[in-house]
Amino acid sequence: MSHVKHAIISAAGLGSRLGLDMPKCLLQINHKPIIEYQLELLRTVEDVRVVVGFLEDQVIDTIKRLRRDVVFIRNPLYRTTSTSYSLHLATKDLQDSFLIIDGDLLINPKSFETFLQRCNGQASIIGITRAKTEDAVFVEVQNQQIVRFHRRPQTDYEWCGVAFLKDLPINKDLIYIYEELEKRCPLDCHEIECYEIDTPADYQQAIQFFDHFDRLDVR
Amino acid sequence: MRTAFFFDLDGTVTRQEILPLLSKEIGLYSEMQVFTDATIRGMIPFDSSFKLRCKILNEIPISRAKQLISQVAVNETVVKFIRRHSDQCFIVTGNLDVWVSTLLDQIGAYYFCSSAEHDCDRLIGVRHILNKGSAVQEVKQRGNVERVVAIGDGMNDVDMFAQSDIRIAFGGVHEPVQTLIQMSDIVVYTEDALCRTLNTLL
Repeated sequence: MSHVKHAIISAAGLGSRLGLDMPKCLLQINHKPIIEYQLELLRTVEDVRVVVGFLEDQVIDTIKRLRRDVVFIRNPLYRTTSTSYSLHLATKDLQDSFLIIDGDLLINPKSFETFLQRCNGQASIIGITRAKTEDAVFVEVQNQQIVRFHRRPQTDYEWCGVAFLKDLPINKDLIYIYEELEKRCPLDCHEIECYEIDTPADYQQAIQFFDHFDRLDVR
Repeated sequence: MRTAFFFDLDGTVTRQEILPLLSKEIGLYSEMQVFTDATIRGMIPFDSSFKLRCKILNEIPISRAKQLISQVAVNETVVKFIRRHSDQCFIVTGNLDVWVSTLLDQIGAYYFCSSAEHDCDRLIGVRHILNKGSAVQEVKQRGNVERVVAIGDGMNDVDMFAQSDIRIAFGGVHEPVQTLIQMSDIVVYTEDALCRTLNTLL
């Protein structure tokens, strides 16, 4: 069992920029939906929660075939609320620290494994990745800690949408989670190789990088 | 009491539906199953379906029905949770007091159920059918309950969900009805996932 007791995947959003009539977590990469790769990464986590909203029936149906003991948290207000609100719903009753993951991420399993190993419950750890998305939340890193989050100017790294949070409750009225993280700086960070899928171009890129993951992940 | 938990009985605490189980005794299992499924799905209103099903089952002596029901398969982890927190758990069922009291006493939770009219060991009919929403209201009116968590799977849990603060649709035995899923905050498909969630709500 992992030190991480709870993991929350946010998969409620519309994913409108992709232009597909499909929740982003169900996008297929090499004949498997992204959510399947994420569930594999979390196989040692006892309590996996998925926040569902847009086309929730499809998402629930897919997930319960892959891992039946997932806890589905419904966010029926997904059209008008942010990821913070979804995460608030899933974490408000949790006493322990928890891991959050955006449902539209394709993550290199090797690099996620080393991140998980660092999550020993002592402190929050923020997952960062080489800056590559359009509306990134950039991080300023000093001595292996994040000292600032900002939209501008661009830096080499961005927050990747994965974080292990200890004593860091998620307020439902936040628009962006990094606003809350910002207040807690400096925060430990760890690099994760991952690709967020927001646009058709991101999707194409993720498909290409998937092959490269496969070569890295010889076990 | 900070949180009160209200559990549906059939398909939530038990792993099988109780009335079809009884109907085996009179050789009408599949017929009763069809009726029960249609009722869970809301194709037939609970009250009239229940009265009719009781009428069919009334040739079974009450003592025999009690005995059969006390052997019903239960979700062990759920029962364990209820026993451990028996002062804050309630089982609410439309089923008859004379049939289910032995089982519910064995489990050891507080309970609300429908009441029967009977003549010694012979069931005459249904006196009063429980509205699960009223059961929740009654406990709330006693005071000292901060929030109510309801767990169920069928159409007759709708009133209970409407009166609760946190609603959990449970699909461990059969798929919860859509109406209930649409009213719910949380949906789970195994009893482990259910109890894990309940433990965070204590």
